[in-house]
Amino acid sequence: MRGAEADSDAEKKQTYITEFEPGPVPPLKPVDKYGFLKSDQSTTVPAEVSSKCKPRNEREREEKRLRKWRKMIGVGGADWKHYARRKPSVVKRRIRKGIPDCLRGLVWQLISGSRDLLLMHQGVYEQLVLYETSSSELDIIRDISRTFPSHVFFQQRHGPGQRSLYNVLKAYSVYDRAVGYVQGMGFLAGLLLLYMSEEDAFWLLVALLKGAVHAPMEGLYLVGLPLVQQYLHQLDRLVKEQLPKLGTHFEEEMINPSMYASQWFITVFSYSFPFPLALRIWDVFLFEGVKIVFKVGLALLKYCHDDLVKLPFEKLVHALRNFPEDALCPDTLLPMAFSIKVSKRLEELTFEYEQMNNPSQESSTSLKTIRLRGLPKLC
Amino acid sequence: MAYRSDDDYDYLFKVVLIGDSGVGKSNLLSRFTRNEFSLESKSTIGVEFATRSINVDGKTIKAQIWDTAGQERYRAITSAYYRGAVGALLVYDITRHVTFENVERWLKELKDHTDSNIVVMLVGNKSDLRHLRAVSADDSQAFAEREGLYFMETSALESTNVENAFKQILTQIYRVVSKKALDIGEDPAAVPSQGQTINVNSNDVTATKKVGCCSA
Ligand SMILES: Nc1nc2c(ncn2[C@@H]2O[C@H](COP(=O)(O)OP(=O)(O)OP(=O)(O)O)[C@@H](O)[C@H]2O)c(=O)[nH]1
Ligand SMILES: [Mg+2]
Repeated sequence: MRGAEADSDAEKKQTYITEFEPGPVPPLKPVDKYGFLKSDQSTTVPAEVSSKCKPRNEREREEKRLRKWRKMIGVGGADWKHYARRKPSVVKRRIRKGIPDCLRGLVWQLISGSRDLLLMHQGVYEQLVLYETSSSELDIIRDISRTFPSHVFFQQRHGPGQRSLYNVLKAYSVYDRAVGYVQGMGFLAGLLLLYMSEEDAFWLLVALLKGAVHAPMEGLYLVGLPLVQQYLHQLDRLVKEQLPKLGTHFEEEMINPSMYASQWFITVFSYSFPFPLALRIWDVFLFEGVKIVFKVGLALLKYCHDDLVKLPFEKLVHALRNFPEDALCPDTLLPMAFSIKVSKRLEELTFEYEQMNNPSQESSTSLKTIRLRGLPKLC
Repeated sequence: MAYRSDDDYDYLFKVVLIGDSGVGKSNLLSRFTRNEFSLESKSTIGVEFATRSINVDGKTIKAQIWDTAGQERYRAITSAYYRGAVGALLVYDITRHVTFENVERWLKELKDHTDSNIVVMLVGNKSDLRHLRAVSADDSQAFAEREGLYFMETSALESTNVENAFKQILTQIYRVVSKKALDIGEDPAAVPSQGQTINVNSNDVTATKKVGCCSA
């Protein structure tokens, strides 16, 4: 009954903010290496699958990899920019193989541009958390216990995990009042908080939504969810072009990408995919941008293609939301995703989509020109 | 509860679950279709979908239920799912008055996106939280009567009235459909094939009907 009362408590945000007494610490339960409760099927990969993906002399290789990475980024990330400029293809290749878990938090901040934002805006986060109020506070509170509910860090009611999550989301909703808080953002923030401090997570969120390095993501959350609509349209086209048989089958069965792919984009695969896979996708996502979401999506459909084309509507919807374990193994899925080419076609489809939606406007609002609106230019 | 095979039905009705975020739509759905409840369920992103078949007057009625994200911003994607729905469960939380106040806005959403003959049931969920009640059943009943809605209080947690609520709305839809079919002198068993949406009357509820092998 604890959760039910939490829900009603949540009504009174004052209560939440002033009564900082954390709830009882949940009993110790077995968790996986990422901190998810072991019984939770949706976020963990069973042992046999994960070991199947990994070679025997894994430990040694990991250590060698770690040394390479440390050398590449330097102490505290000091050498990163230099290295990334000199050897971009090495960096890309290494990131695609997966960032070592112990360096992930730091590297994510380096490749997303959030570290620069933080340095340029010292003290801003604290100001947002402590002195500003947001009309989204109740919405945020209601979702706090519904975000990664099976992770130990977020389990304890009013515990440190839940409080940081609340702070980051509240701060963002103040920082960007046009976006405010939208369900799904909690999964982004939650994922980041497992690898970095509140303030770092906040600036990474800013970097993503405002477009520090790649096209801004804020359109995923703005009124009308315009970017979700655009991405779904583009995915639909890519499926038809790259997997024509499946595309036709989807059309016949009246399957629309919003039935399965909205959350792929809105939460960048962090909502319901196995955590180890989500992390590997995020490594690449932060470095290469949203096209990896399309690639992974297409790879999933391609991997399951022969089953999917046989299924009727209802079973199809179910299958598209519950991919088999073997399809979700990062070392199988990601190489397949990397082999799918989408960049050029995505650009064309973006142009086409813009023409379709505002034919009068010149489509010169290329992603680059609108990026970093309202943000100081980064070096 | 005996669950019949999924493909063995006489009528297929599309029903949507709508209402503010956190009122318990996803849990009502999981309780009805899988007999499951979770205190810490994730918020719905976009839409979810599940089915279950029940028996009405010897006919097998299959409900295809679409569960939508409650947050206002999501209506940009979810409202597309109202199309073709013959029934809607409009859910509020009896412990949060604001979710009841928003019912009128949800009704307007429905009016804008669905056929006028859609069967709507107002559902006051979380009836187990008696000590936290903020909306009286009498008020809701009166409101429902004024608006021509069916009404029921439920608890997805205790499994109270969940079955009844879905049964009642499906039965009502069935009555509307079979009555309309009779009105225009059509044998309900003669309507088109599965997957095809039929407009039984010019501005009427739509239903999908399967013919052949499994018609009773
Ligand atoms: N006490 C009690 N709690 C409930 C009941 N139904 C749902 N809840 C709780 O209310 C919270 C929200 O439930 P959901 O089913 O996720 O709500 P929803 O309407 O689907 O929310 P969105 O997906 O955000 O639109 C969860 O913590 C549930 O456990 C109920 O009948 N009684
Ligand atoms: Mg829900």
